[in-house]
Amino acid sequence: MSAAFTGGAFHTDSADSWHRVHPVSPLVRGWVAVAAVLFIFGRNALDSLFTGRPDGRDISAGAPPAVIAAVVGAAIVVFGTGFFLSWRFTRYQVTDEHVHINSGIIFRQQRRARIDRVQSIDVVQPLVARAFGLAELKFDVADGGKSAFRLSFLKLDEAKRLRAAILARAAGVAVDPDAPDQVTEAPEQHVLALSPGRIIGATVFSSLSIVALLVLSGAVALTAWSGEIGVFIGFVPVFIGVGASYWKAITGDYNFRVALSPDGVRLHYGMLETRAQTIPPGRVQAVGISQGPVWRPFGWYRVHVNVAGYGDDRSDHGNRTVLLPAGTLEEVMAVLALVFPDPGVDNPVDVFTAGLRGPGNRHGFVHSPRSARWIDPLAWRYNAYRATSTALLCRHGVIFRRLEVVPHERTQSLSLRQGPLMAALGLVDFELHSTAGPIKPVVHHVALDAGRRLFDDQAARAATARRIHSAEHWLATAPSATPDPQEQQHAN
Amino acid sequence: MPSQSSPATPVPPGAPPVPVPPAHASAIDPEGVPFRRVSDRLTTLRLIERGLGGLVFLAAASLPLVLRLAGVWGGYPDWLAWALPSAVLATVLWVLALVPRQVRAIGYAERNDDLLVRHGIMFHRVMVVPYGRMQYVDVTMGPLERMLGLSSVHLHTASPGTNAVLCGVPAAEAARLREQLSARGEAKLAGL
Repeated sequence: MSAAFTGGAFHTDSADSWHRVHPVSPLVRGWVAVAAVLFIFGRNALDSLFTGRPDGRDISAGAPPAVIAAVVGAAIVVFGTGFFLSWRFTRYQVTDEHVHINSGIIFRQQRRARIDRVQSIDVVQPLVARAFGLAELKFDVADGGKSAFRLSFLKLDEAKRLRAAILARAAGVAVDPDAPDQVTEAPEQHVLALSPGRIIGATVFSSLSIVALLVLSGAVALTAWSGEIGVFIGFVPVFIGVGASYWKAITGDYNFRVALSPDGVRLHYGMLETRAQTIPPGRVQAVGISQGPVWRPFGWYRVHVNVAGYGDDRSDHGNRTVLLPAGTLEEVMAVLALVFPDPGVDNPVDVFTAGLRGPGNRHGFVHSPRSARWIDPLAWRYNAYRATSTALLCRHGVIFRRLEVVPHERTQSLSLRQGPLMAALGLVDFELHSTAGPIKPVVHHVALDAGRRLFDDQAARAATARRIHSAEHWLATAPSATPDPQEQQHAN
Repeated sequence: MPSQSSPATPVPPGAPPVPVPPAHASAIDPEGVPFRRVSDRLTTLRLIERGLGGLVFLAAASLPLVLRLAGVWGGYPDWLAWALPSAVLATVLWVLALVPRQVRAIGYAERNDDLLVRHGIMFHRVMVVPYGRMQYVDVTMGPLERMLGLSSVHLHTASPGTNAVLCGVPAAEAARLREQLSARGEAKLAGL
């Protein structure tokens, strides 16, 4: 590969210097197709070699070896050419401000992302890539999770170095004048790890198990009712599907580790495909902590985040929006302290515990007024909000409990809603809009006066917080109360 | 420097002279904010749009009646043949009757730090969109809107929840609003 990566140093590239991904990458990406072709023809070839059916009753199984050799040869040439071209046409470049990726043979694609808009970076290693010591670098810009930038595949060390370089530039780290090329990878500080028992337990005692039990009892009942074992056998594909979901949930979150490095919160997870996810500080738009009824005896919570680049992305192997798949209250607080260092209260543990458990008005929470019990007979004392000096906390639900935390400076817009029934009861819904993601913060059924005050105060708090936290480069500008130069300039 | 987020601001320079307050003040409006109404020509536009839609509905609902009267569909119950179109007609008339009040209820106000948008007579909604959070502003104009000299202004933030649409803004005012919002967005631009 290029000399830029030798010796731990990293140059940003000039406009005309480009790099290529690792030559094996197309094979790693396309191995399924290759394996399928090899399997089909290989099996036929073996069949004809060992059974040696000369009469050729079955044409597909008994093709002559010459034909098989020709087909395999052609496949090798076609795949090889395709892979070579695909490798040849994929180039990338990291300059001081942008990342460029050009790819595609027939349909060319040239993509350019501004480094200071990078929202998060993942280093992903699918199983086959791990065998080759390769990794995919994947980073998101704030487009609502529509498309991530992928560089697949690089050597693991190069991927890590590139990640460090991009994050350092995104953070606005001043370049060291003595060694301008030097970007050392930020050291990680271990925060917590989840045991395999926890992951398996959390999966077993989840809503998935309720579904599995329902399916199983349904199958048994139908079988008993019809008296035919065939009915039960008909359910086998469903069982396989459920089993696959378990497998996916367990392997996906296996070895979940949280670490802190200066360039962000680092999450490591995965059994077969491993993933190291980096969320730079200040890129977390909202945090949601939730607990279903089955987890309550164990005291486990799940933590989700909204990050601008992730969107509602649930497709891409597990759930990238999960910050902690199943953690105790202490672990939740530890993780919250990473993404949200200043909770804005003196007794965060008490406040967040009140926010997670409810009910009532303890620790500054304000729940719905009595009139809300006509709409919400169970949850009205649980639905509550509290504004700290740095964030708004929204509490919900009796059975499925949720706490949503939105830092004031991440508020996009606010709205109040009121229908005729709520108007009659003197209630109002308060909505807070965050970027696309699993968390959609809302406070249901606030008393009218409180809701209007919350609306006004929150708009003012968000405006103040924005002025303080307007830095995109989170390391370049220390957070302070002074307005940034841009704003001063416009004010003059 | 406009640092304090005061609840209301005087009319910004270059704005049309008299802000007309919305006719239906709701309980959730912020206090002391002079809302400006959209053009009354939006009533005409909505009446045409909804009237046409209603006609299509009415035609579909009257089909059994026509067939019945033509004697093609003898078995169809008489009362149902009349009840269905009458119900649809009543609904359409009700929807049309609501339009003027709905249009008068739409209001917007430019404050120092944000734009307020209000909607609705039965289902009220008030939304505040900070200038610094606006990613872009869309001004659109359909054929009917063009005839009436109106535009729609959409405000987009990084959140899909921000569904701030102002319909029926006079074209000149829409252009002013777009420039004003972009300029203020630029001045107060915050990252995400």
